[in-house]
Amino acid sequence: MRRADIKDEPATYERLVYKNTSVYHYMRISLVLENENTRLSAAQLKQLIVSGLRDLYGEVGSAFPFDLLKFDARALTGVLRVYNSGLVKLWSALTLLGSYQNERCSFRVTQVSPFLLTLSGNSRELELELD
Amino acid sequence: MVRLKSRYLLCEVCVSDRSNLLLLDDRAIYTATKAAVARAHGDYGAALSSLGFSVKYLNAHTGIVFLRCRKSHYRLIWSALPFIASLENRGQRVPCFLNCLHVGGTIRTCQKYLVRYNTQQLHRMLPFCQSEAERSEIRKSLLSCTLKKEADDVDEEEDD
Repeated sequence: MRRADIKDEPATYERLVYKNTSVYHYMRISLVLENENTRLSAAQLKQLIVSGLRDLYGEVGSAFPFDLLKFDARALTGVLRVYNSGLVKLWSALTLLGSYQNERCSFRVTQVSPFLLTLSGNSRELELELD
Repeated sequence: MVRLKSRYLLCEVCVSDRSNLLLLDDRAIYTATKAAVARAHGDYGAALSSLGFSVKYLNAHTGIVFLRCRKSHYRLIWSALPFIASLENRGQRVPCFLNCLHVGGTIRTCQKYLVRYNTQQLHRMLPFCQSEAERSEIRKSLLSCTLKKEADDVDEEEDD
């Protein structure tokens, strides 16, 4: 069965292969705290992540570089940059991190991408203007 | 057949006072190694390395230890061994360090290596004999060893 209005010409497509992918991965994370009035600075957030890494992977396993590129202290969201080799470790440590100063907390990883540009827009937060 | 491959780490416990060696037992080595792995590699490393990890053999007279672990994660234990600074047994702390001599796939190869290593050590230490009497004493005690090659701790005892 074939619909009459579909012509059976081969679909034209362009294949884009990005061979030298970035050495970094970028993650957008958000921190959810039990008490919403708690404030923390960028340094404290990084300290929290490093302590989580040290709990899970020890002193040797957690000694890899990562950066907190941007941090919004009001919304508790930030952008992390990490080398590809450390991505899995960082992500798993974030997932298993459960408390900040005896207060329960959790990290939500919103977006992960090898390109920083991707984090500029998130289709899940897109609000369509409906008439 | 499929089998789980292991790695055996042949280590020697180095202490300043050799009489302290007799205080050691395999439990103390086990807990110290696990604590060192947990510190260096965290919960993840400790959990991975605790699979199939055991202290196979400990000679309290010579301070020779065989550690057995899975082949896939022996590096976790191997890399944590230098961080052991003391062993604790029944409330007594023995400052020491573990010197990893050999990593082998079977106990047999480790034993062969140990015999070779001890002969080497003996050859190295013999020139330090002070007098001819001492030298002949050592020679006599070596020749009086009636044990076969399996007993690797016999020639080990001579080299200190």
